[in-house]
Amino acid sequence: MFSVTTEIPSDFKVGVETTINRGHTPEEIAKMCADKLVSVSDNAPPPIKEQANAFKKDILNVVEYYMIQAVKSDRVTLYNRMKQAGHEQLAKAILGD
Amino acid sequence: MAISQAMCTSFKQELLVGTHNFTASSGNTFKLALYTSSASLGAGTTAYTSSNEASGTNYSATGAALTSVTPTTSGTTAICDFSDLTFSNVSITARGALIYNDTQSDKAVCVLDFGADKTASSGDFTIVFPTADASNAIIRIA
Repeated sequence: MFSVTTEIPSDFKVGVETTINRGHTPEEIAKMCADKLVSVSDNAPPPIKEQANAFKKDILNVVEYYMIQAVKSDRVTLYNRMKQAGHEQLAKAILGD
Repeated sequence: MAISQAMCTSFKQELLVGTHNFTASSGNTFKLALYTSSASLGAGTTAYTSSNEASGTNYSATGAALTSVTPTTSGTTAICDFSDLTFSNVSITARGALIYNDTQSDKAVCVLDFGADKTASSGDFTIVFPTADASNAIIRIA
């Protein structure tokens, strides 16, 4: 006889990230990405846990950097589209941090 | 009235008769709908319902399509995953969600309980799915 389990544990909670009057920041999205890529078991041996966490931190830093670059790059694209459409002041606001 | 997190019983039966296909791109379309705390959802849910579905600015009834990741295995466990789903620029409060098969007559897959009301106001509401491994993936067959 075989048994197949497909249950969702009652203590499992899917993550929900919300924002108010803004979108997610590159840092927040980078964290979601790193969490998705690297999961470290609570029961893992300490040296492995330490190594995995260090790797995760590296992943986080790299993803965060490129997320910020992507946003900056997209803003330059938006700036130019708005400027070409005759909205220069608005375009400048898009570039401001 | 409550949202009880569960893999829907009908889904388990439907797996055995090959109703659902989670293959990326060529498989079925799965959607995720948000619900208020007044919703009554659980293992007995068999299909999408509009009853007590959350509503708010920039959220469309029936929810949004999920991006499937083709099922794979991890050890002796088969796993299925979805990309994180963001409802952008919404104003909405939800307590849970239903994942359902939009291709197969809106048949229910599983009910998710967020544990508390979650609110986004003129912002993003993102469902973050767990790491796709044998211990954490959203759908696992072990």
